[in-house]
Amino acid sequence: MSGRLEPGIRKPLKKMNNVISREQSATEHTPEERALLFRLGVYIKIRWLIVLMVVFATLFASLVFNIDFPTLPVYIICAIIASYNLIFVRQARRLEADKVGQVIERAQASANIQIVLDLLMLTALMHFAGGIENPFISFYLAHTIAASILLPQRRAYALATLVLLAITLLVLLEYYGVIPHVNLQGFVLETRYKDSSRVIGVLVALATLVYGCTYVVTAVSGELRRRQQEMVKLMDQLLDKRNKELEQASKEVVKLEEERRHFARFLGVVAHDLQSPLVATQSLISYILDGFTGTITDGQRDLLERGIRRIDGLLTLITDLLDIPRIETGQITREMREISFIEVVKRSLEGMDNLAQQKGITLKVELPENLPKINGASRRLQQVVTNLVSNAINYTNEGMVLVRVTDSDNDVRFEVIDSGIGVLPGDLPRLFNDFFRGSNAGSKGTGLGLSISKRIVEAHGGKIWVESPDPETKKGSKFAFTLPKKPAAMHQ
Amino acid sequence: MKQKPKILIVDDDVDLVKVMKGTLESKPYDVIVAYNGKEGLEKAKKEKPDLIMLDIMMPVMDGFSFAEQFAKDPSIAKIPVLALTSFSDSLGQPFTFEVSEYLRKPLKPKDLIAKVEEHLKRKGL
Repeated sequence: MSGRLEPGIRKPLKKMNNVISREQSATEHTPEERALLFRLGVYIKIRWLIVLMVVFATLFASLVFNIDFPTLPVYIICAIIASYNLIFVRQARRLEADKVGQVIERAQASANIQIVLDLLMLTALMHFAGGIENPFISFYLAHTIAASILLPQRRAYALATLVLLAITLLVLLEYYGVIPHVNLQGFVLETRYKDSSRVIGVLVALATLVYGCTYVVTAVSGELRRRQQEMVKLMDQLLDKRNKELEQASKEVVKLEEERRHFARFLGVVAHDLQSPLVATQSLISYILDGFTGTITDGQRDLLERGIRRIDGLLTLITDLLDIPRIETGQITREMREISFIEVVKRSLEGMDNLAQQKGITLKVELPENLPKINGASRRLQQVVTNLVSNAINYTNEGMVLVRVTDSDNDVRFEVIDSGIGVLPGDLPRLFNDFFRGSNAGSKGTGLGLSISKRIVEAHGGKIWVESPDPETKKGSKFAFTLPKKPAAMHQ
Repeated sequence: MKQKPKILIVDDDVDLVKVMKGTLESKPYDVIVAYNGKEGLEKAKKEKPDLIMLDIMMPVMDGFSFAEQFAKDPSIAKIPVLALTSFSDSLGQPFTFEVSEYLRKPLKPKDLIAKVEEHLKRKGL
């Protein structure tokens, strides 16, 4: 059996195989990395601000308030801070471009260096600007807060301790005269840095504030960091779940498609194996009928012809039975092309004239001159038209069968009107059911023709119906179906 | 005397082949038989028949593959092919290759002869 029975199989949905992932390229960092880089950026910006403030404060102190102290070391320190800040700005830019995964480590190392450098500079600055006498000694707090935002909790406390050590060292060295004290003349008392109770008071106050700030800042930023991590984890879990579901769904689609293909092949084999012996038998009988084995009597001919007719009936039944699952597994959708419905009708009507003539009735056909192309499975539609017209001729003994195609805005309509025996009112609701035969229809047919026609029309997104007696002629019956001009989404 | 036209039947159904062979030999034609596509292809190349009757559904090599291979060989590609399709095969399966004509089984002997004559006449035999 051929593997080419199903030429139009759709490929398994390609899109479903594309598993969703959080896109991570060199420039797109994890939320944690982004947060750290952002904080580092803010820290660097604040440093510019501090440098400017110190320069202005110094200018103000010396020029406006006439406080006398050597300003040159202060400006030099500011220049040093500004120059290393430039270096850190460039480094931060490089970090932005770094690969995911390495950023955190590098950014944290850089933050450590920056914080310690700042501490050293601040201490030097404080020394040259009057040590403990300078109210700007509280800038150590700003440094602590900024550093605590950048550092993990434990390191933030270590830094707070380092800050206090630096201040204490500075103050004590000046107190004991190990290094010279710079007096802010005209601002505070000359001897204040030697006032032990004041020195201790300031140190204790600073210590409390520094540790307090460290606590508050690390608590808040730690909480933020935890939430962020939780969010990222949650997002990853959700993505994982979605990806697994998608994978599962796409596997199922492939499996179903495979099963459908297998089923179609199975049906093909069944059809072939059931029909082949019948076809061969018919051929053998025809061979005798056509006189190839010698003359036969009229009685023999009659019996052989009956045999052929019975086999014909069986072949039709097999074809019909196997058609139903084929239609129901969506075969029609795969067969749909852009087709001319008029051509389909013309082809179906070939030979119908003869059939009508044999029965002594007229077959009248009314087709529009132009009909837009529709999306349809031509062989299947031909099957429907043939079925409806041959039914009309079969069940009409005198008068006329009219075949009419009309065009409306949204659909194409096909009608067969006959002057035949009609359908009994009780049979109307069940006429399109499988194996149903009209009570007045005799024993012709398999009872599947109309139910298959219904399946085919509905697979096209159309409707099929019967009116008996025909409302126009008040006799016989009218079978009609419509086909949408625009293909409906999917009808399977 | 003019040589009898040579016809190759490619079909796996022994009974059908018997009937077709008997029918065609009565004309008279020379009839060669192959029971699958592979054998059919070999006989077509060797015997260069005037016409081929090809069954679509066959074991070993089906009619589709036969026709594909057949069309590739220029020494035989021009031979007319009458494809035989089963009752239900012809519905729904669009064939993708060219043959001279599709005939639907079962075929009455008289119709078979008529079709063969028609195609041979077209060829000028």
